[in-house]
Amino acid sequence: MSVVTRRAFLRSSGLGLGGLGLGVLAGGGLAGCATAIKGDFAPKKGPRVVVIGGGWGGATAAKYVRLSDPNIEVVLIEPNREFISCPFSNLVLAGVRTIDSLTMGYDGLRKHGVRIIHETASAIEPDQKRVRLGEGYLQYDRLIVSPGVDFQFEQIEGLAQNQDKVLHAWKAGPQTVQLAQQLAAMPDGGVFVLSIPLAAYRCPPGPYERTSMVAWYLKTNKPRSKLIVLDANQNIISKAALFRTAWQAYPNIDYRGASRVVGVDPGSKEVRTEFDKIRYDVVNVIPPQRAGAIAVQADLVGGDKRWCEVNQVTYESLKQPGIHVIGDATIGMPVPKSGNVANAMGKITAASVVNLINGKEPPVLAPGNTCYSWVSDREAIAVVNSYRIDNGKVVQIEQKLTPAQSPLVAQRAIGWTQSIWADVLA
Amino acid sequence: MSAVRLAVAVAAALVLAGGVAHAAGPLDERGALKSVTCSACHGQAGNSRSSAMPIIAGQDAAYIKKQIEDYAAGKRLSPEMEPYAKQVLNLGVDDVAAYFASRRREPTPIQSPADAVARGRSAAAQCAICHGPQGQGDAAKLIPSLAGQAPGYLREQMLLFKQDRRSPGDPTVTAVKALLKTIPDETLGDLAAYYSSLR
Repeated sequence: MSVVTRRAFLRSSGLGLGGLGLGVLAGGGLAGCATAIKGDFAPKKGPRVVVIGGGWGGATAAKYVRLSDPNIEVVLIEPNREFISCPFSNLVLAGVRTIDSLTMGYDGLRKHGVRIIHETASAIEPDQKRVRLGEGYLQYDRLIVSPGVDFQFEQIEGLAQNQDKVLHAWKAGPQTVQLAQQLAAMPDGGVFVLSIPLAAYRCPPGPYERTSMVAWYLKTNKPRSKLIVLDANQNIISKAALFRTAWQAYPNIDYRGASRVVGVDPGSKEVRTEFDKIRYDVVNVIPPQRAGAIAVQADLVGGDKRWCEVNQVTYESLKQPGIHVIGDATIGMPVPKSGNVANAMGKITAASVVNLINGKEPPVLAPGNTCYSWVSDREAIAVVNSYRIDNGKVVQIEQKLTPAQSPLVAQRAIGWTQSIWADVLA
Repeated sequence: MSAVRLAVAVAAALVLAGGVAHAAGPLDERGALKSVTCSACHGQAGNSRSSAMPIIAGQDAAYIKKQIEDYAAGKRLSPEMEPYAKQVLNLGVDDVAAYFASRRREPTPIQSPADAVARGRSAAAQCAICHGPQGQGDAAKLIPSLAGQAPGYLREQMLLFKQDRRSPGDPTVTAVKALLKTIPDETLGDLAAYYSSLR
């Protein structure tokens, strides 16, 4: 069988190029039973929850449904074989961490009895309560959709056709490593341009952490270089005072608010704002974002065609009963699009789904947000938000910021990653 | 051929790991649901596996309750814990404290160098007066157990005590602050190594 044939099949079946699940095969020994995937290829024997997306929200939800009620079968559909943490990936750009140190497998979930299919869900059929995988489908009692974000490349002229040259590095993975390589290869005296989209987007402080870490890298390794930040927002939208203080150590930052990038041309190495043209040596465009494609396809997004509105206690979609949406794809709550919030939503939704399947009332719980940002190779800052439920809506109890950047906060940031990665995956 | 291989993969995924036996899940316990946000930092059932985040499993309930109340009131200063302490008070601190107190403590997996542990042991005589010979604490006096606690957390707390940045003005911790002011910073790391090694 040639690669071309296999890819042709994947294209025709809408499965993407995520691979054929060979790692799963290794433990199976079921080749004799296999037939082509068609129709209901795994008939449901008892209550079943299907989870689409194995990121911070979906992986957590899958694990906690199993922990809460082992009688419920959980199938997680996730094309990637490894989980790569977006939090801490700005440290990879600066050469402070390796991408390997942020990369983990899904075996921990398997130990909880989560069944994982490393494929891309091609469609949701809410009326039949099933998820399509190519020509086959899986039935569910409750579906949890944790699709993350997809990029609206078309909103910036020249971006869609130049995705290989103009990197986002906003989903940790190969692009993170490539952007780090571009930065390392940039000559001293070069200009790095970072473009930030209008909110809402994944990880509000992320672009400013990236600004800090790129500036730290340049100051340390290429002291004649400059970082121009073109922010579509009027001003820094998260931890503003703390970032401003941190940036006093980085005179190489030229931060420009209200500067929305509308075009990019890798030929002339220029980005265009509504008013200006800026030449770059390395560019990093974080594109505008919306909920992951499956959420749009399944009509889970609201009037804005970008994000999903949900019941703020159960995370059930306001548009499609029986389907719960969690993580960055949601909108309407006073919470940031963060990994910590997605993790909390995963646990709360797991509890809701388990209760609903068992004919009980869902619990009334609100998420929390713990969000660390690095400002140098050894110092970090944090913002923390807690919430409660008031009349069925998520309401903030309090927001607190660290008083200043410090190495102790950075140590706690490391502690947080170790704990929460285990909460999501172990 | 491709379709068959895909089918095999999927079938294997659906058969593997079936029938795993479980005790009652973490969300079934009294107080567990109310502490659903805690595990992001404190680990499953309060057993943090990291160096910086404290293990709260098996800690005395009254001690946990006092810490939550002090965090919420801004007496024990922590930008991370103050918002979460208010969330816990909102949900019911007694349930949350009872839940973590009833969990079995799993000592930190962080291993400290043997020489640091040895130095810490020989420097710990004064600590043992309050925290007990095995670092077990004294629940009646709201003195916490230190045995098997995460070393990074222990060291940070000793530094905060020493600098009077933990619970300023709290008379119950005046003595520990006075003691820690007499101990050099490098010894604090050794003490943390020693107490985290106790079982």
